[in-house]
Amino acid sequence: MEQPSLNRTEQLQEQLKIVKAESPWRIAIRRFAKNRLALIGLIILFIMAIICAFGPLFSPYELNQTNIKDKNLAPNAQYWLGTDKLGRDVLLRVMLAGRISLTVGLVATAISVVIGATLGAVAGFYRRFADTIIMRIADIFLALPTLPILITLGAILSDLKIEPSKRIYFLMLIIGILGWVGLARLVRSQILTLREQEFMQATEALGLRDSRKIFRHLLPNTVPIIIVSATLGVAGAILTESALSFLGLGVVPPTPSWGNMINAANNLIDFRKRPWIWIPPGVCILVTVTAINLIGDGLRDALDPKMKSR
Amino acid sequence: MSQYIIRRLLQMIPTLIGISIIVFAISQLVPGDYITATQNPNLTAERIAQLRALYGLDLPPVQQYFVWAKNMLVGDLGQSLQHQMPVTKVINTYVWNSFIIAFFSFVFSWIIAAFVGVFSAQFQYSFFDKVVTLLVFLLMSLPSFFIGLLAIKYFALDMKLLPTGGMTTAGLNATGWAYIKDVGLHMFMPVVVMTTLSVGGLTRYFRTGMLEVIRQDYIRTARAKGLKERTVIFKHAFRNALLPAITLLGFELPGLFGGAMILERVFNWPGIGQIYLASLNLRDYPLMLGFTMFLAVLTLLGNLISDVLYGVADPRIRLK
Amino acid sequence: MKKRLSLMLVTLMAFGSILAACGGEEAASTDTTTPTETATDTTAPDETATEETGTDSESAIGLTEAEDIATGNDTALARTDSAIIGTVAPQGIFNPLFHQTSYDFYVDYLIFPSLTKVKTDGTYENDLADDIKISDDNKTYTFHIRDDANYSDGTPVKASDYLFTMKLYMDASYDGQSDPLSWNVVGADEYNKGTATDISGIKVIDDKTVEVTVSDYDAMTQVNLGGIAPLSEAYYGANYKQGEIASVKEFNTKPMGAGPYKLTKYAAGQEVDFEANENYYDGAPKIPKLIYKVTTDTTNLAMLQNGESDLDNITVTEDNVEELKAAGFLDVNILKNNGYGYVAMNNKNPMFADVKVRQALTYGLNRAEVVEAAYGPYAEVINIPQSDVSWAYTSENIDPYDYDIEKAKALLDEAGWVEGSDGIREKDGKKFEVNFSATADNPVVDALIPIMTQNYEELGVKLVVETLDFNAIMEKKDRGDYDMFFAAWGLTPDPDSTVYITDGAQNNSGYSNPKVDELYKEGKKELDLEKRKAIYAEAYQLINADAPEILMYQRTNMLGINGRLDGWDVSPYKDFPLSLHQVEIAQ
Repeated sequence: MEQPSLNRTEQLQEQLKIVKAESPWRIAIRRFAKNRLALIGLIILFIMAIICAFGPLFSPYELNQTNIKDKNLAPNAQYWLGTDKLGRDVLLRVMLAGRISLTVGLVATAISVVIGATLGAVAGFYRRFADTIIMRIADIFLALPTLPILITLGAILSDLKIEPSKRIYFLMLIIGILGWVGLARLVRSQILTLREQEFMQATEALGLRDSRKIFRHLLPNTVPIIIVSATLGVAGAILTESALSFLGLGVVPPTPSWGNMINAANNLIDFRKRPWIWIPPGVCILVTVTAINLIGDGLRDALDPKMKSR
Repeated sequence: MSQYIIRRLLQMIPTLIGISIIVFAISQLVPGDYITATQNPNLTAERIAQLRALYGLDLPPVQQYFVWAKNMLVGDLGQSLQHQMPVTKVINTYVWNSFIIAFFSFVFSWIIAAFVGVFSAQFQYSFFDKVVTLLVFLLMSLPSFFIGLLAIKYFALDMKLLPTGGMTTAGLNATGWAYIKDVGLHMFMPVVVMTTLSVGGLTRYFRTGMLEVIRQDYIRTARAKGLKERTVIFKHAFRNALLPAITLLGFELPGLFGGAMILERVFNWPGIGQIYLASLNLRDYPLMLGFTMFLAVLTLLGNLISDVLYGVADPRIRLK
Repeated sequence: MKKRLSLMLVTLMAFGSILAACGGEEAASTDTTTPTETATDTTAPDETATEETGTDSESAIGLTEAEDIATGNDTALARTDSAIIGTVAPQGIFNPLFHQTSYDFYVDYLIFPSLTKVKTDGTYENDLADDIKISDDNKTYTFHIRDDANYSDGTPVKASDYLFTMKLYMDASYDGQSDPLSWNVVGADEYNKGTATDISGIKVIDDKTVEVTVSDYDAMTQVNLGGIAPLSEAYYGANYKQGEIASVKEFNTKPMGAGPYKLTKYAAGQEVDFEANENYYDGAPKIPKLIYKVTTDTTNLAMLQNGESDLDNITVTEDNVEELKAAGFLDVNILKNNGYGYVAMNNKNPMFADVKVRQALTYGLNRAEVVEAAYGPYAEVINIPQSDVSWAYTSENIDPYDYDIEKAKALLDEAGWVEGSDGIREKDGKKFEVNFSATADNPVVDALIPIMTQNYEELGVKLVVETLDFNAIMEKKDRGDYDMFFAAWGLTPDPDSTVYITDGAQNNSGYSNPKVDELYKEGKKELDLEKRKAIYAEAYQLINADAPEILMYQRTNMLGINGRLDGWDVSPYKDFPLSLHQVEIAQ
């Protein structure tokens, strides 16, 4: 390995100074605002959130209201998106479901990203003891059987008489906590190589604190991978939520979520005859995932220290 | 390096002991046992007590753990309560069925993801890239059983190209090539659907990784005239992009043997995923614990392999 | 990891129906059909159907024959010497001592005939035995095995095989799901404890005759003793030693019996193949080859439609019934399920100790609407814990608890629960708030929760609903730490049960009524059917008045059968495999 020439060290210091001159966050915001696609994503997500939050207030129907006579109706003037097998308005349910699913998807993913990125970076940066401990814990997490743990947690929450409507918070926490390992290992792998690169020698030369090295100089380089992991995570969390409901961890029927609405159409006949039951929640998840990904791409471009030109 | 591997293998021992304790503790905490799960309406309280004693469920948990752990050391995972045969035999009966579809879909999804990811990155924001991206999101937005049903409806029921499910044609009793052909026909749809599902996420990772490389490339080209040592950076950047793939590769090892519960069910594939799920629902703890430990070993090995491969990809990575 | 995790979790959804089936929904997947359940009472009724009330919903149930078996049925018609039966995967325990699911039982039906077998009306007839003598004190039973009964390997079925099989049942290491010591066979305990090497109460009189003595008898004795399917001692007993039954289990996947078919191939999770047993005493079966193919509920209907299978159990929904009937070449047979769903109330909880409260909660729930929403015309609200096709069924002096919110309110007022300022009733400062646990993804629960919440809100009762894993609910039940939960019971053909007996093994609700205890005890001991009818009728009337739980519905099962197969003889009590040996392929 050739020693960096004086010339290059200066160059790197120069770069670091530029970063210092304008706060990286301000640069990021400036760059993000310039990214049209990212803004569109943000607007879509915002509109969806607004519709889900306030739309149900304008609906003539109620959550608990079943109407067997009107079951399985195709979309019509009275029920814009049709009705399900209990004669409930699909439009109302999709909006109500959005409240749950959007929250769960975003919060759970945020939790796992924060834990995963931090632990992965710490393990990769310090190596040795910290790495052994964190990665062995990660191994254990990966090896543990998820379902029995969730069944047990569901039973415990029930025994503690935690109000079913509040269990959704535990749900987000659980999905978040169970999801960190993959990201931690991904981030660690990148940090392992990044820490060996020249710019880190520069930070060393400048005498920066470890936390600054990790969070200002190493982690921003792993943003692309974090974003991919997060976008995949949102969709996963939304679909996972509905499964956890069975174990007393998620929402309680009749409260809808996009996941449990799709899952209600679990046979070939519904699939063929009644697309209005599964298309609306499916489209909602698709739009959410796409919007988040657009935002993610924008964020990456905004935060990526290697991107100077755009 | 060999020293590192040996140390990691030694570390596996306490990790596995830790996992076995936690897993066993969970099995004790999970509500219900085989008796409550089966809810046989014909059992008297006396018979229930007899059965619990025969199953070894009446011992104190700590003692149960040591009996289980001791047997495990000599390769005996116990008797499956619902199958009435040794757990190792149950696993051996079903795990290979899962393995063959998992293996083929693993190979296909990695090849496809690598190509699509590279192209999609090279032509970022092109029509091709957008179509691929949208397709990936579409597949992510639907539960897997749904995609399985879709495939069955079009390819098996409407077009009648492929069998609706199962692993062999009922009553065919084929042998040799005819058997391989028959199984191949049956596994086509599950493999395609599994590949489609896993290729989505992988493509995103490959695309991102390649975008990194290409960006470095631009910088390199821009500065090529004066700074030849940038090629070194390019090299490292490329390896940097390879690392996530290696990490994901490590996760695939337990995945190859773990079975796909939903798709096995949808396609009626006689795999271990369904069997494991049933063992959980019926509280067949010997089978559930045995299979969990089997996967745990594979998980640890997979992560060890990826850690070793990091060093191969980038010699500067020094894991100690 | 993420992918694996979510995959695993989402699986639960797909599996929800099975979770429920694990007991929540009549134990479909774990139906432990021990001999107790197979045979029924000797002194059978001959007027089971006298009380049929021809309502509209009744017409939805029963057999609809295929219209035209020739059209669109080419795939199935091409199988001229075989039939494919779709089934959930058996566990590979093909031995009547150890099998645990109905699907293993489907296999065993074809291989292991027992001394007596059930008939469509729930009565029984001789099968492997051609003569049964019972002593005057009802304690000695002499069975004579048919002279022409041979195993599929050509060796005769002997009386000593019966003794051998009983020894296996009584063995200390026997860990199957039957409860053989409760049959009270003389000498069984001694054999079980190892203090005797023979069972003194079972005497082999000659090659084909065996005599069994019991220390105590009840209505189940003959059912239990006649339900035994003798295993060949020569085949199964080679390595058996008292106290070590493991060697017998090694034959679980290589069964050999005296039944109409013999097993030729078992591919775990895929199929079980059979060949007709030429030695079968009732004449060789008419279908030379039989294949049990493993199917799942996602595609089993489609496989019937396109001729890939000839018979399957299809979940009863209005959609599925319509689809099957539309095929034209399928017989659709909708049969009452032997079981019922109910909402348990914790009778030991002071809140539900008052019978008026329990009655009010029953009147105040629109059960008809729930059942209609969940099953349409294919299930009925029930008011006693017995199938209406059973001989023990009665509708005399039974309160139908039709939905009546005013009556429910009045009853709660009487019980001292008065409406508070927030609309929720209270008594002694305690609010009427009820925790309700149910398994998710069950068609009834889907409909029940919203309707129940709404109904009880009107009643002034606050319902707090949670969905839980089935076993978690059962554990809460065992601890007595619950208010209400939803579950279902499977019914055995005999009305004897411990569900409503004080501290009975299956008593989930903590219900106790000394008079009911007495009646159940009396009913079990009585052998005369007419007298038993009267006894159970009285017990059901008491239970109906006490409303220990909210009885919900009896649902139906559906067999879709390709019209090319004729000669079936099925009923809620007689499963399809029992008549397979007489089924013919129509040309």
